[in-house]
Amino acid sequence: MLKRSYVSQLIIGLLLALLIFSLLGKISPFLVMILNPFTWIVLYFSLVRHEVFGAVTGTICGLLQDTFSLGVFGVAGLTKTLLGFGAGLVSRKINVLPPGRNFVFVLVMAAIELVLWKAMVMFLFGEGLGIGGGWLLLQPLTTALVVTISFQAMGRKEEEVA
Amino acid sequence: MKEKHKIVLLFSLVFFHLVLISIQVPRGERPTILEKAVFAVFTPIGHGVVSISQKINSLWHRYFYLRHVQAQNQRLREELFSLRQENLLLQRALAEFRAAEEVQRSLAHLSLSVIVASVIGVDSGQVYKSVILNRGRLDGMKEDMVVLDRQGRLIGRVVEPVTQRQSRVQLITDEDCGVGVLTERHRVVGVLEGDSKGKCRIKYILKTNRDVQVGEEVLTSGYDGIYPSGIPVGRIVAISEDTSIFKKIEVEPYFDFSDLDRVAVVAPTVHRQE
Repeated sequence: MLKRSYVSQLIIGLLLALLIFSLLGKISPFLVMILNPFTWIVLYFSLVRHEVFGAVTGTICGLLQDTFSLGVFGVAGLTKTLLGFGAGLVSRKINVLPPGRNFVFVLVMAAIELVLWKAMVMFLFGEGLGIGGGWLLLQPLTTALVVTISFQAMGRKEEEVA
Repeated sequence: MKEKHKIVLLFSLVFFHLVLISIQVPRGERPTILEKAVFAVFTPIGHGVVSISQKINSLWHRYFYLRHVQAQNQRLREELFSLRQENLLLQRALAEFRAAEEVQRSLAHLSLSVIVASVIGVDSGQVYKSVILNRGRLDGMKEDMVVLDRQGRLIGRVVEPVTQRQSRVQLITDEDCGVGVLTERHRVVGVLEGDSKGKCRIKYILKTNRDVQVGEEVLTSGYDGIYPSGIPVGRIVAISEDTSIFKKIEVEPYFDFSDLDRVAVVAPTVHRQE
C-alpha cells in the first residue's frame, strides 16, 4: 500500500518535472541550466525512500533528461542512478532531516552529480569545460533550495495528517 | 531488501547504462531505438505544454481584443514571416547569378516550403548543442532541413530523431556541427563548427592566407550539400595563430539564443540543384 502510494507520487513527480522542464525551455533556454527538475525528483525520493527507490528513480529521470539532449543516450541516466543510490544510502545512515543539514547534503550531492555528469560528457565528447557562462554552477544551489523546501513542506504536511 | 541485493541492483543499472553508452560510442549518426522510443513517448508532453500555454495566451488576448482581427492578424503575421524567409532566400539565389537564363533556371528549383515552428525543448546543461521543435513528420519535417531565425540567419539543421509531431535541431554552435562557409569580401572558403559555448570557429584556413579579416561577415557556401549558399551565419570576432598550419578564427553567430521562440524551417529542395 505504502509502495503503491510512493509509485503514484513518483509518476506525478515525473510528469511535473516534464512540465516544468518544457515550460523553462519555453521561457528562456538558460533556465534549463539553472533549474533541473529531474535532479529534484531523484534527490527527493532518495531522501524519502532511500537507495533502491533512489537508483530506479535516477535511471528513469536520467534517461528522460537524455531524450532532450543531443548526445550519448545514458550519460545522465548513469549519473542520476549513482546520485539516487548514493543519496539514498547516505540519508539512511546519517540523519539529514533538519533543514540546515538537509540543504548542505542536497547541495553536496547535486554538486557531485554535476561534476560527474560534466566529467563524463567531457570524456565522451572530448569537449572542454563548458559551464554555460557560469549559469550551470548555480544548478546545485537551486536544487538544494527546491529540494529542502519541498522536503520540509511535505514533512510538515505528513505531520499534520498524522 | 538485503544489502547484497541492493548492490546487485545498482551494478545491474550501472551495467545497463554502460552498455547503452558503449553501443553509441563512437557516436553514430543514428540514435538508438530506445532513445527514439522515449523521445516519441515523452516529447508530446512538451508539445502539449506549449500548446496549452499558447492557447491560454490566445484566450487572454481574445478577451480584450476583437476576436476576428486577432485571428486574422496572427495568420497574416505567420504568412508574412514565411514570405519574408522565402524572399530572403530568393534574393540571395538571385544575387548569385547574373545571366537571366541562369536566374530562370535557378528559380525553377526554388519551390520553397517554409515551415514555421516553435522551440519546445532545450538541451539541459549543453544549451548550445540542440533544441526541440514542435513540428514533426506530419508537418513535413525531414532530416537535414535548414533552420533559420526571424531575420533569415542560420540556426542549424534538423537531425534524427524526427517524430510525428516533434523534431530535433542541431545548432551551429554544437562542436559536432560542420557548415561549409565563406567570407563575404574575399570568398575564402572554410568549415565552420561550434565550440559548445555559444561561439563558432572556422577551420582549415591556412596561416598564409591574408584575406580574412576581423569584422568580416561569414556566409554559407553551399558546398556541404546541406545548407543553401548565401545564408548569413555570423561575424569574425578574432583571428589568432598557434603551432598548427591553420588560423584560429572565432565567429560570433548572428542568431540570438534567447530569441528562438519562432523559427523557420526550409525544405532542402532549395539548394539541391543539379
